[in-house]
Amino acid sequence: MLFNSLSFIVFLVIVLGFYYSTYFTWISKKRMLLLASYVFYGLWNPPLILLLWISTVVDWTASKRIANAKDKSRRKLWLLLSLVVNLGFLGFFKYGDFVLENFVALVNSFGIAYTARPMDIILPMGISFYTFQTMSYTIDIYKRKAKPSKTFLDFALYVTFFPQLVAGPIVRAKDLITQFYKEKRATSDQFIWGVFLLTIGVFQKVVLADTLLSGVADDVFGSSELLHGVDAWTGTLAFSGQIFFDFAGYSTCAIGIALMLGITLPDNFRYPYGSIGFSDFWKRWHISLSSWLRDYLYIPLGGNRYGITRMYVALMLTMLLGGLWHGAAWTFMVWGGLHGAYLILEKLQKQYLPFQITKWNGVFLAFITFSCVNITWVFFRARSFDTAWQLLKSMFYLQPNGLKILDSFSIIKVCVVIIVLFLCHWMMRNTSLKTLSKKASPWVIGVFWAVLFLLIVIAQGSGEQFIYFQF
Amino acid sequence: MNLKKAFCIALITAVVGVVGWELYWRSQGYIPTIDDNKALWAIQRDRVDTLDTDAVVFLGSSRTLYGIQLDTWEKETGKRPVQLANVGSSPLPVFHDIVANTNYSGTVVVGVAPGLFFSTTYPKAQPWAWPQARVDHHKNRTYVQRLNHQLSLPLQQHLALMSAGEEALDDNIDLKTLLKQIKVGNRIPEGMPPFYKFGRMTTLDRNLQMTDRTVTDTAFAHTITKVWEFIGKTSPAPDKAATMAFFLKDVKAFKARGGHLILMRCPSTYGVRAGENFMLPRQDYWDDLVEQSDVMAYHFEDYPQFKDLKCPEWSHLSAEDAHFFTAELAKLMLADKAIINPQTN
Repeated sequence: MLFNSLSFIVFLVIVLGFYYSTYFTWISKKRMLLLASYVFYGLWNPPLILLLWISTVVDWTASKRIANAKDKSRRKLWLLLSLVVNLGFLGFFKYGDFVLENFVALVNSFGIAYTARPMDIILPMGISFYTFQTMSYTIDIYKRKAKPSKTFLDFALYVTFFPQLVAGPIVRAKDLITQFYKEKRATSDQFIWGVFLLTIGVFQKVVLADTLLSGVADDVFGSSELLHGVDAWTGTLAFSGQIFFDFAGYSTCAIGIALMLGITLPDNFRYPYGSIGFSDFWKRWHISLSSWLRDYLYIPLGGNRYGITRMYVALMLTMLLGGLWHGAAWTFMVWGGLHGAYLILEKLQKQYLPFQITKWNGVFLAFITFSCVNITWVFFRARSFDTAWQLLKSMFYLQPNGLKILDSFSIIKVCVVIIVLFLCHWMMRNTSLKTLSKKASPWVIGVFWAVLFLLIVIAQGSGEQFIYFQF
Repeated sequence: MNLKKAFCIALITAVVGVVGWELYWRSQGYIPTIDDNKALWAIQRDRVDTLDTDAVVFLGSSRTLYGIQLDTWEKETGKRPVQLANVGSSPLPVFHDIVANTNYSGTVVVGVAPGLFFSTTYPKAQPWAWPQARVDHHKNRTYVQRLNHQLSLPLQQHLALMSAGEEALDDNIDLKTLLKQIKVGNRIPEGMPPFYKFGRMTTLDRNLQMTDRTVTDTAFAHTITKVWEFIGKTSPAPDKAATMAFFLKDVKAFKARGGHLILMRCPSTYGVRAGENFMLPRQDYWDDLVEQSDVMAYHFEDYPQFKDLKCPEWSHLSAEDAHFFTAELAKLMLADKAIINPQTN
């Protein structure tokens, strides 16, 4: 179910009706939330709920055994089982075809004529998110960083909680399960703020991502011609805006909906396009994934504990696998690799060419960071290396003889949106919407809110899927 | 900041804004319409799985949609048909879907608009991709997509502001289309002339009628003919060999299981007819198709009662003429025993 759909409005009203009904106990309300979460997921493809159930049961059993076992090898065995099941699901459903394709290519490169029928596996929506979430729970129990959930119901709800089930934020057990122990009710201010966040999230998705930016990005990345430099840059900028508004929009909706239930989810984006440098960027972009990768991949790989070379290797491996997490294609690996290279270069700069960041050079450095991030988006969005390479050629050789496919208004529209986006992120980088809203008059917030709502109505979104659902 | 006050201000402003937006577009002549989208089509396609052998299913392009009026057909034949034609589309992917994915062995009437029927079998070409997307949607639609469609229908039927359609027409009033109307400079060559909505779905089972404005406002009708001229000039050459081969294979399979196929050619006039005569002459295309298919066929030029029918925008019948055409065609088919009236037989 999509947040930007009519069915979700009906669904949410029913859930809120039951949730705030005085007839039910907290346990009944949690059961209702769990059931609602399965309905939320199952209305897309009912049989795939089975995967959620298996993941839930396996991690519940494994974590209990790990918590109770005293023998280290038994604890390790149960952890291994959880990892094998979760990564097995992920590997089969997400990377099955990719592995097969590459195997065939490898065999063919040795001159062996072999073809394989594609497996055409359905990618279960949000599998990358919920497997990472359940794995973090079991690993934290294994490392004794978290206590096991008190009841199976709390754990199942943690795995399946509908606001963040299919596209995050990836929440740690200690941040969410504990909230289920005591009855939650949103205060009226929390509830209204939740509705406001939901409106902002849907606005980001429907108006900014789908209406203003996606068409230009689709045209440019869908073109097979060598494009004019302006078109290539405009398409890339459009995609950088689209992916931010699409994904941040989903996270904002998720946080808002959870808040309407009195449950707090962590921020997933903190004005990333105002970042100064790439380590700053990854503290602001998809925070729940980058912190997951840091805690469960980068640090176990050695982190910065074994010297500089090992640290760079760990960093690069983390970013490459982070790229692969986004999609089963080499282009995603290159995207991750570029970010890894940026991070390494930044560390080298800090070591050998340190300089003070002032308010004067800050905006320039943020602009440089944003521009470099844009280059990586080319690999993220392009469906093949040919397309990516063609676009990069257009962007950097500027190709005055390249094909012009965008009209002037589309270019102006994208540039205005992206300039406003960049400046907003720069100005908001050290504050938050909540802080800003506290200073604003209710009239300003009210009228702003109404304008967002009206634009959503006028945009009449076609219920397009969020980009991150495919990850 | 007082959030409750902000919420109340937002609520009142939003309600006033939405009502104002609705009233504004109604004052501009917009009325609520049902969008002929893939979800609406899929509901009709779903019916084919359970149809009796005395049922009639219409396939084709927009001429079949405009030309066949379901109420009139039902009145004449005693049975309401299923309308599966699609605007700007080849009927081949839908016929293939019926042959390959159903056991239906009743009557299928395929409307032949030569420019679309013989256009292509290339999956990414618009006349093929558009209907194929609908076939795929029917096959893959989720429960939530079905629910969304059912929930959107009352809004479409009661709000003029819900005008965004699956077809990207230039008089849609969604934000994307409104922004598209802003022209700055001429960086890229002009594409297709503005294309406006000239028909309206009148029932949920996809009965399409030409609007009165298209019939009475010749300047408006001229905007549509300019689009046909543009399409005529820019369309690639027909691919008769591939389309015929694809279709005839399905015809053979459909007939083998007892299915009854009828070919139908709805009227086109003036410039469009002239263009068709030039690019896709009847004897080379229609006559050859009928001969090779070896099925009953009805061409509007073969019947005196259709001689005086004129298409206001050269390609489709007005609502009034469509009722006449449907009634006369049904009578002809009944007389030929091409179809039967279950109430009188």
